Amino acid sequence: MNLSCQSCGAQLVVADTLRTASCPYCAAPSVVERPPSRDRPPPTFALGFVQTPRKAQELARQNLLRRSFWAPSSVRNASVEELRGIYVPAWLYSALAESEFSATIGENYTETETYTTTENGRTVTKTRQVTRTEWRPLEGRHAEYIPDVIVTASSGLPNEELEQVEPFDLRGLRRYDDALVAGWISEEPSLPQEQCLEQARAEVQGLLKQRLAAFMPGDSHRNLSYSTRFHQEALVVCLLPVWVLALRHDPKAPPLRFLVNGQTGKVYGRVPVSWVKVSLAVLLALLVVGALFLLLKSR
Amino acid sequence: MPSVEPQCQRCHSRLEAEDLRCPVCALPTPRAPRPSVDRERARLIRCNNCGAAIAYSVEAQAPKCAYCASEMHTETQEDPIDQAEHFVPFEVSPEQAHEALAAFLGKGGFFRPSDLASRAALDSLKPMWWPGWEFDAKVEATWTADTDAGSHRSDWAPHAGASQFVLHNILVSASRGLTLSETQQLSPLYDVAKAKPEPVGPPGAQVELFDVTRSGARRQILAAVESMAREQIARTELPGRRHRNLRVAAALSGLDTSHYALPAYVLAYRFKKKLYRVVVHGQRMDCVLGEKPVSWGKIVVTALVALALLVIVFMLIQAS
Repeated sequence: MNLSCQSCGAQLVVADTLRTASCPYCAAPSVVERPPSRDRPPPTFALGFVQTPRKAQELARQNLLRRSFWAPSSVRNASVEELRGIYVPAWLYSALAESEFSATIGENYTETETYTTTENGRTVTKTRQVTRTEWRPLEGRHAEYIPDVIVTASSGLPNEELEQVEPFDLRGLRRYDDALVAGWISEEPSLPQEQCLEQARAEVQGLLKQRLAAFMPGDSHRNLSYSTRFHQEALVVCLLPVWVLALRHDPKAPPLRFLVNGQTGKVYGRVPVSWVKVSLAVLLALLVVGALFLLLKSR
Repeated sequence: MPSVEPQCQRCHSRLEAEDLRCPVCALPTPRAPRPSVDRERARLIRCNNCGAAIAYSVEAQAPKCAYCASEMHTETQEDPIDQAEHFVPFEVSPEQAHEALAAFLGKGGFFRPSDLASRAALDSLKPMWWPGWEFDAKVEATWTADTDAGSHRSDWAPHAGASQFVLHNILVSASRGLTLSETQQLSPLYDVAKAKPEPVGPPGAQVELFDVTRSGARRQILAAVESMAREQIARTELPGRRHRNLRVAAALSGLDTSHYALPAYVLAYRFKKKLYRVVVHGQRMDCVLGEKPVSWGKIVVTALVALALLVIVFMLIQAS
């Protein structure tokens, strides 16, 4: 898509998935305005970047070094090949979740039990206290607001990866303003809203499983099943600040992708495993076991 | 400032002008309508001061102009310290508060020093308004618990239920100066319907300020609502005589909070070189809370007499 720069009039080539562009001639930071659609509504909220690029690099490097024990030794000298601050679009979901549940609740009680045992060659009868569980059925309802569920709206950053750098501190939420993303890379939502809504509901179902388990009375429970209805759902787009780093450690291998939460500094990245180190460790362990075995056998 | 609905569309709780989301159910508040865009275009965000293009600065954590260094304001979740909007007027004068103290000291029981009323000297008498929130809310509570109703072999049987109730004119203290037990005893006796927008009271009366931010206040209020919901369920909903493991999930609606300043006198009197504190209600002089000294002499004599009586009874029994 070609748009003209408001500063110098040059042609800007803007990818369909981006909300911002920088003019290659005058470096003026533009924000792209598009007619809204169902899958691509204008953002409602944004969280501003708090972590500076230098801090993001430091955090990623520290994280890599801390986890480099099983990695190839080259990762210790990994250098930052690329660092980008991206406003990732995500859906912020909230609803009133109403669940009907049924479960079997265990209520403990103690009983005095008579048993026979052999003492000094004689059979004697004794008593002891034993705890038993009485199982009782229970049906009921559970209703509460589920406030802050975040699911990715970007096909570039899968939800599993976004979850790794969550949580974001939503107290720092700002009403979206074009000025907040000017000069930065900001993506447009690229996943269908319906798919994200299903993902958000699935996340709530997972959360409710824990909430309902904690809601059960008794000393224990089993066979907990529930069905949930969602009322008054709200789904708005929120832009989240994420630093994306490419760390090069081996010229032949692809760079490592690291994510840093641009607000809190939480780091996520996969560190490769050195099979040489693992094989050596296994061999060493086998040698030690073998030596011990031989030692014990020779006695 | 965008026009904000005074009420949340989902839970009907009252919203403040600065709220981006409802504090109870997290529904985003509606924003002022933006001009519609009919075709794609690239827009430069310009500095209000010098007209240069501006970008978000991570160092300033705000959009900032690289040329004139001016920062642009963006709408964020404000968290101010709210101030009292309603002042409940004093109806007890300082003289009446002094009289109330004298009556309080005169009423001392058997173990109080007999010269307490005559020898206690007033050290200070301070009229003040203490801060408190008053709220109304509707609670839809679902609960589970074990009670003894319907129990078989175990002492407990599981129960579940749902109930709705309305909490009206509930006062929660925000005071640091008065203790929780003092504010709990003073609260039910205020006539908040007489509240005025300005303080009306004796000269020199001080207003204790709210020193909790709005978000902190809301957390305290929500905690108060939940604890009241628990108490209400334990009192009226649970079958049986005993219960345990009461779990409550509460969905609030229509939460409406007001900020009140409530009148009271804080007095200090001296008795035998020691200071004691007394609080007199600012509207009801018959409500006096405070400390009184005890007469250790009387306690020791009583204990000795009781002991002597016991010994005599014991000896009589032995003799017969």
